[in-house]
Amino acid sequence: MEYNGGSVVAMIGKDCVAIASDLRLGQQSVGVAMNFDKVFPVNDKLYYGLPGLATDVYTLREQLRFRVNMYRMKEEREITPKTFTHLVSSTLYEKRFGPYFIEPVVAGLPSPTELDPHPKPFISTMDTIGCITTPKDFAVAGTASNKLFGVAEGLWEPDLEPEDLFETISQTLLNAVDRDALSGWGAIVHVITHDKVITRQLRARMD
Amino acid sequence: MTLLAQSPMSLHDTYAAPVEHRFNPYSENGGTILAIAGADFSVIAGDTRQSEGYSIQTRYARKVFQLTDNAVLATNGFAADGKNFVRRLKQSLEWYQHNHHKQMGLKAIARLIQTMLYGRRFFPYYVYNILGGIEEDGSGAVYSFDPVGSYEREACRAAGAAQALVQPFLDNQIYFKNQQPEPGAEPFVPGRLPLSTVLGLVVDSFTSATERHIEVGDGIEIFIVMAKGRSPESLLDEKLGEGMTIEEVPPVGEGGEERTFLLSGPLKRD
Amino acid sequence: MWGQPMSAYDAFNAHASFPLPMRSAPKAQPVSHTQQPVVTGTSVLGLKFKGGVMLAADNLASYGSLARFRDIQRLHPLGSHCVMAVAGDMADFQWLKRDLGSILREEEALSLTDNHPSLSAANIYNYLSIIFYNRRSKGDPVWNTVLVGGWDEAKKESFLGYVDLLGTTYSSPTLATGYGAHIAQPLLREAFEAKAGLDGKGELPTAEEAEKLLDDCMKVLFYRDARSLNKYQIATITAEGVKISDSKSAKTEWGFAEGLRGYGAQDR
Repeated sequence: MEYNGGSVVAMIGKDCVAIASDLRLGQQSVGVAMNFDKVFPVNDKLYYGLPGLATDVYTLREQLRFRVNMYRMKEEREITPKTFTHLVSSTLYEKRFGPYFIEPVVAGLPSPTELDPHPKPFISTMDTIGCITTPKDFAVAGTASNKLFGVAEGLWEPDLEPEDLFETISQTLLNAVDRDALSGWGAIVHVITHDKVITRQLRARMD
Repeated sequence: MTLLAQSPMSLHDTYAAPVEHRFNPYSENGGTILAIAGADFSVIAGDTRQSEGYSIQTRYARKVFQLTDNAVLATNGFAADGKNFVRRLKQSLEWYQHNHHKQMGLKAIARLIQTMLYGRRFFPYYVYNILGGIEEDGSGAVYSFDPVGSYEREACRAAGAAQALVQPFLDNQIYFKNQQPEPGAEPFVPGRLPLSTVLGLVVDSFTSATERHIEVGDGIEIFIVMAKGRSPESLLDEKLGEGMTIEEVPPVGEGGEERTFLLSGPLKRD
Repeated sequence: MWGQPMSAYDAFNAHASFPLPMRSAPKAQPVSHTQQPVVTGTSVLGLKFKGGVMLAADNLASYGSLARFRDIQRLHPLGSHCVMAVAGDMADFQWLKRDLGSILREEEALSLTDNHPSLSAANIYNYLSIIFYNRRSKGDPVWNTVLVGGWDEAKKESFLGYVDLLGTTYSSPTLATGYGAHIAQPLLREAFEAKAGLDGKGELPTAEEAEKLLDDCMKVLFYRDARSLNKYQIATITAEGVKISDSKSAKTEWGFAEGLRGYGAQDR
């Protein structure tokens, strides 16, 4: 976790979700890259972040890409955020006794179905061996997680519109990573709404 | 006699190797403190929970203390060291008053605290101190210290168990970090927020810390030191939070023009 | 000196408060101590009630896991309106009794001859906490955890305080040490808060309720704490003074144990 550094946060808004990460990749205290995005899309309604050991970020991302593609072909439909969460969880638990050093965060907008015409925005997070939590407000992970908890608890409020959610998640991430030596060096934010995904790179302190 | 010389446990432990057992003179008693300076006031706050490990020792133990008519000290870390440090500090301040027929000024108290902490450089007081009050020029001030006396004047500081949760929030809300004013608007200046805003931030900081940190909770005590000439009406008229009470803290000495108030209220107990 | 002009230094420093008191130079030979507890007493409990405070401690002093001394009194009166209940090393407890005894005798003599006030429970507690803190700072701790209960006649209120080998101090309407802090304290708090409310400002439990509660807690501790004894005493401190009960036992039920594998004869 502390080897490469990095943090991810996700938040629920009104008919939208947001997920954001810093862009630092380090080797202990030495910064190596400032374009290490830790958030990846599954489809245009579902993103996930993988903060933790960088080598495991790649392994897990490819593993999940493979499994989501298999799911798509077998089921002939897109995976829901909830199902994807369980897919990530069982992928992590397969390595129960030699875990990936990753604490994933999932954020998605479930598509309406006949059974559930008005699905709620969904976020979830897991520990390194796949124990799931599905918060109603925000999820944090990575080396700045305690700072993210503090700021998010102070800034977040229910039913934020996409632009307000963007401001809240950006301020939360920036102020938390500015107090963390292992996170920072830029940030990227995705706000997922029903008709589009807003992705913005943030200008941040580079020290 | 040989029997007594052995430790009772080793009588039953066949494989007992001589275990090096050293007495640990320190403990950690949780809790969080915080202070914010305004233009003509200073706010110093702390929660009232005292814990050790996963046990709550008491739901009411004070860790914010009035030192003089214009200085309040918050202390956090090892409670026994904290109590004894404050006791010794108060004694020094009393002697100073007897010798000089006046109370020690805030920045002198800050230097005294550094001297006392550094005096124990090689057996430190395991205590994080935050000193708040009114400077001789009438401005609100906050000084923060590390356990061995390194110190600095600041506009705000959080310390203790939930420091990591509260400090970045204060960076954002007090120092306006990562914020910029609207084009053409006044620039942000830290340390100039109105008292009502500051009190709101203090209460929010502690409710947030209580929500996410197990060692924070039970109660909150907020000391407010007001510079001379500032009307306390603005404070007394404040719409207090639920269950909050306010009282004026009597002056330590003859009483200058500064006034100290204590705002206390409940926090969640779980 | 009277009749003589004050020197400039004395005028500046009438109370010799400068320079700041410093630690004395380290001794040439390092003194080694840091014992560890040998003969020990287990948890003690304390509880405030309407009109006073109660303390409870069992009569056992253990030597490791051996129930070595089974008639030891761990409740010790200090003056007319104060009791301490002591857990931890019994040798240090005896030293404490001796040390406090001499102070108390001196103070009592003074309080008889002039209008010198006698020591309150809060005074004694404060003195104890200073002893404990100074000894821990020397690296030679007094290996005890002590509850002090008392009645302050001037303030007409009860006193209950905790101090341990680190010099850590605190007060609360219910207190418990060691295993008691994990097992009995939740029961004490639940019962106390049910009566007095979360802020403790309501009606306090009566003496009868308090004693019943302590009896229950001592029983639960006897069931679960392997270093406890079903023979204990309760000290009650009120305006009338100190009353330390005779040793008593809780009624216990072990019938359930017969059905447990590993208990009793191993013939099943």
